[in-house]
Amino acid sequence: MNNRTWRWYLSRFLLHGLLMTLAVIFMFPFVWSLLTSLKTMPELLRPMPSGSVGEVVRYLIPKHWRWENYQQVFDTVPFGRFYLNTIFVTIARTIGGVLIASLAGFAFAQLRFKGRDVIFFILLAGLMVPDQVLIVPRYILMREFKWLDTYQGLIVPLLFSAFGAFLLRQFFLGIPRDFFEAAQIEGASPFRIYRDIYLPLAGPALSAFGFLTFLWSWNEFLWALTITNSTDMRVLSVGIALFQGQYNTNTAVMLAAANLATIPLLILFLFFQKQLVEGIALTGVKG
Amino acid sequence: MGTQTTYSTGKKSNSLSASESRWGYGLIAPMMIGFAIFFLIALGASFVLSFTKWDLLNAPVFNGLDNYRKVFGDPKFRTALFNTFAIAVPNVILRVGIAMGLAVALNSKIAFRTFYRIVFFLPVLTMPVATATIWKWVFDPKYGPVNGFLRQAGVEGPSWLFHQNTAIFAVVVVLLWSGVGYDMIIFLAGLQAIPRDYYEASSLDGASGWQQFRDITVPLLTPTTFFLSVIAVIGSLQVFDLVYVMTRLDTSNRLPTLVYYIYNLGFEQRQMGYAIAVAWVLLALILGFTFVQFRMQRRWVHYQ
Repeated sequence: MNNRTWRWYLSRFLLHGLLMTLAVIFMFPFVWSLLTSLKTMPELLRPMPSGSVGEVVRYLIPKHWRWENYQQVFDTVPFGRFYLNTIFVTIARTIGGVLIASLAGFAFAQLRFKGRDVIFFILLAGLMVPDQVLIVPRYILMREFKWLDTYQGLIVPLLFSAFGAFLLRQFFLGIPRDFFEAAQIEGASPFRIYRDIYLPLAGPALSAFGFLTFLWSWNEFLWALTITNSTDMRVLSVGIALFQGQYNTNTAVMLAAANLATIPLLILFLFFQKQLVEGIALTGVKG
Repeated sequence: MGTQTTYSTGKKSNSLSASESRWGYGLIAPMMIGFAIFFLIALGASFVLSFTKWDLLNAPVFNGLDNYRKVFGDPKFRTALFNTFAIAVPNVILRVGIAMGLAVALNSKIAFRTFYRIVFFLPVLTMPVATATIWKWVFDPKYGPVNGFLRQAGVEGPSWLFHQNTAIFAVVVVLLWSGVGYDMIIFLAGLQAIPRDYYEASSLDGASGWQQFRDITVPLLTPTTFFLSVIAVIGSLQVFDLVYVMTRLDTSNRLPTLVYYIYNLGFEQRQMGYAIAVAWVLLALILGFTFVQFRMQRRWVHYQ
């Protein structure tokens, strides 16, 4: 306690001042977007007044809260459809991605087979290559498979995460092989050992990787933009981006759409905060 | 770490390991089949196609090194390269620096630290397309709050997204807003790994907070700083969604970055072969920068 001098209080005061200023700057776009999305057309066309603080605050808050702007998002474009597409594609990619990566991660960590480490190394080397190099051949493959503009096309090529296999292998390496050998003597097959022993133990790692996959998939843009072209197959990210170019919609409706695309993830984050933060920390510390 | 394999010579364990091998291949099969199709085959095809001229409709025509020769004389490529670096350099430096400062501040027992952490992290969750939509209007010359506040200060702000330099500035601001929180979380995890004794011992020796930061925190965080810089360089070289939405005003491309240019060449102009060649130049840049960073890490990264 002897260090709580006036210097300590002054430094804390300055630190909070700095952090608060930054926090206000970080929150401002969200608050501004929420408030502006509820404005009416005449209000939108009024530039910010240059006057007192009170005037600016009164300007920022809508006079008539126009909730119809949110309704209008669904009336202008098939936003409900974009929503369902995004939810479906994201859930499929997350479940499939976690399943495939955990099977591979388990085998690479616990099973002994010839060429295992070489195969794993080749898989890891793939992480260095940016998707842009692969996007054209993948597009052509999709055309050959007749998967352009389909759910398979949106989902399947993005199910194979070398990063996930790496992350889960690291986790499974931490579980002693004795577990595996004991179960094997009991006559359990490796798949049953994976399903009944290792998978339940990997709960935290699986949910961390699952949430990261979910977040990335929900926001994914480049592949969805490339592979789909009918309005019915668009996901939220592509729908919102294109809808700005094509329709002469007002700012409030545009911002309402952006808010609607973000809100589910923010709610999900409140429930999975711990998993997500631990998952991100895991990727950094192990890397 | 379990990679050392010891096979016993007994008959029974040999047959056991044969079945274990089959299971091993079986369990990695889904991943490896997908990897073979969507990565290995795609990569091979990409390499071959980078030496062709192809419009997607007719058969590709082999044209040797023409695409690569063309890249170096292409003024649009040079503009895209310039824009990419003009965004990447300030973004990497500021992002890692600000995130480290925030993590150190929020690792101490400071009031409201959970609140601060959540606030700085929320933009990470926001869809880049939504982020770009919001910030495009924040930077709007007439109705946007940035110019609104500047007008308060008596300055008439520029049309941010309509000019190359100001658009680069705006994109860097938005990238920082959406990326700093992620790095902050990783730095916080790195800080947790520094033993408390180090700080206690140096306090006894009379070290000030600043000296502790400089002599303990910064050196022991260097592995994390290194990791985040590598990731930030790779990510910054691939910026796409943000610029696509923020600067795609009218029909002209105001701020093409490398990935934007690749997309534009391939899927808007249908010059597939050339688009792929530009993507390979991007790959070479990424590998080159990552290699240089790994080579330089010996000079400044301390592993415990």
